[in-house]
Amino acid sequence: MIEDPKRIAEEQEKWLLETEGLKERKEEFKTDAGIPLRSLYTPLDTKDIDYVEDIGFPGMPPFTRGVYPNMYRGRLWTIRMFSGFGTPEETNRRWKLLYEHGETGFSAAVDSLTFAGVDPDDPIDWLSAEVGKEGVPLYSIRGMEVMVHGIPIDEVSVALVVEPETSAAVTSMYFNVAKNRGIPLSSLRGTTQNDILTMTIGYVPWHPLKPEDLLKLACDLIEYCTAMGEAPKWNPINFTTYNYREGGIDAVQEIAFGLANACAHIEELLRRGWKIDDFAFRLAFHLSAHRDFFEEIAKYRAARKLWYKLMTERYHAEQNVSKQFRFHVQTAGSSLTAQQPTVNIIRTAYQALEAVLGGCQSLHTNSYDEAVCLPSEEAVLLAVRTQQVMREETGVANVIDPLGGSYYIEALTEELEHRIWKYFEEIENAGGIVEALKSGWLYREMNKAFERRRKAVESGEEKVIGVNCFVKEEEPVEPFRTNPRAAEIEIERLNKLRAQRDNKKVKKLLDELKRVCETRENVLPTVMELTREGASVGEITNTFREMWGLWDVPMMG
Amino acid sequence: MKKIRVLLFKPGIDGHWRGILTVSRALMEAGMEVIFEGFKSVDTIVEAAIEEDVDVIGYSVHSGAHIEWTKKLNEALRSKGVRDNFLVITGGAIPHADHEALKKEGADAVFSPGTHTAEIVKFIRENVPAK
Repeated sequence: MIEDPKRIAEEQEKWLLETEGLKERKEEFKTDAGIPLRSLYTPLDTKDIDYVEDIGFPGMPPFTRGVYPNMYRGRLWTIRMFSGFGTPEETNRRWKLLYEHGETGFSAAVDSLTFAGVDPDDPIDWLSAEVGKEGVPLYSIRGMEVMVHGIPIDEVSVALVVEPETSAAVTSMYFNVAKNRGIPLSSLRGTTQNDILTMTIGYVPWHPLKPEDLLKLACDLIEYCTAMGEAPKWNPINFTTYNYREGGIDAVQEIAFGLANACAHIEELLRRGWKIDDFAFRLAFHLSAHRDFFEEIAKYRAARKLWYKLMTERYHAEQNVSKQFRFHVQTAGSSLTAQQPTVNIIRTAYQALEAVLGGCQSLHTNSYDEAVCLPSEEAVLLAVRTQQVMREETGVANVIDPLGGSYYIEALTEELEHRIWKYFEEIENAGGIVEALKSGWLYREMNKAFERRRKAVESGEEKVIGVNCFVKEEEPVEPFRTNPRAAEIEIERLNKLRAQRDNKKVKKLLDELKRVCETRENVLPTVMELTREGASVGEITNTFREMWGLWDVPMMG
Repeated sequence: MKKIRVLLFKPGIDGHWRGILTVSRALMEAGMEVIFEGFKSVDTIVEAAIEEDVDVIGYSVHSGAHIEWTKKLNEALRSKGVRDNFLVITGGAIPHADHEALKKEGADAVFSPGTHTAEIVKFIRENVPAK
């Protein structure tokens, strides 16, 4: 393309004269993150971008166009549906169904007890009401065995969606199941959701540990899998900016939170004496795909560039793999509506397209009924089909980074990069992620962002079909319901295990865990033994609580 | 005029807090006094509601256990003989198909996703029990 700036500027002047006096639909056009938009982007908006330096080629620095040289030409993104409910048996059946229908990776959605690290027979107020309601109950190795029974986990990767309080327990249950099936940990592929922000600002955990203890646990798993060499193909963390985004922040804040959070974990591991390349090759991310189509695509491209910058300039990583920003995407649950739920299929399809045009490594598409319940079989299969239509029928995966070179996309990528970096620096000025969590700074930012969003929706400034425009009367639809007997079944499973296991040995190991908590050694070797011997997630997590104490979350900011 | 006093809490251990935090702000903006209790057991909440002499008890459920919690709260209020002292409102990720069942269990109002906060404010103002 011949792009003579002088000629273009002259022509642009003429065009601007043509547009003068033409009325526009809105006074101001902005992205979702508030970036003001021109009506047209031209080579003049990208003239300072150096193609080789700033954009480059896929699989080559700064990875703007993708982390792998051949991207989807080689292998399409993984269809990874976040799924789990009722009992491990029912979840196993759902996983097999999804696999049969073309899912290519698994992701375990756990219930609130597994998240919090509480056993179902804990004498907390009516806990049984929540067993299996939001996800699969995984309280011990027994549940884990059943969930993955007959699933080819030697070939297909599994994501365990937990958080640092229970990441050691739940991951080690999975590792032990794999070992028992004769699969060496050295070849096991999968991911643990394990960062300290996911479940502190996106979701407020019940009886949480303090941020520095959460960070210790998160880094223990990273260290165990990577630097200690136990499970080198396992992603021991994926910084889940998706969850923070669901709390109302924008695309700029989403990536800045994610990068600053990664820095907190990296610095803890460096403090332990490891080198960046000992562990950075397995740091992964889990991003959102939200409302603003082009901004989200530019966001993924900017995130890759910024990660490269951070890993080279700040941490002096040498291996390319440490500098590659690999990410899973989930379409935005918070964009779904309870009203006219089938419209969610359309929202999800657009968001899934953003993820693919942005070069994601794996993708979860929400089911249309998820504003009010867990997905029904019909809804989740439609969500899988949404990805399959894209893969098989649209041709969108035939060319790498097909929007690269668009004046708009390139200008927006650059603008986002600047804005994310600026906000990243604000977080650093607030003391970094751990300090910003403790001081309440992060909660203030989250609350402000959500209030802004609520007011925009309630005033009608931000349109939501079926909620503040194009509203229609509807008959209520029967939601998907989980097994009402789940609590009974799980308590029985746990009782049986407690009767079968060597309780003396478990007790001894729990005492050993207390010692490890005191000396702050890596908890993984002991937790591996504990879950193998039948200790429950609750018993392990309660030990952490007992030894380290609880955190009073400053959520009001 | 006396301020309307509202006690808000999350029953159980599910940590989806965004909804109840948002409602808490909206009610405060509307001039109500909000006591935000966070995670609490139903028995503690009933005690607190009596002690603080609030007008409204509100809670948010995203775990799918909304019917169970509504039943439990109302039973606890009835057993203390104080059910009619309070307006009991529930919100969260609640299917419209469950509204009737929740009202049968004792919820005075149910607010599902997408509710304008002004609607919640209006309901409270119009229905708060006379004391």
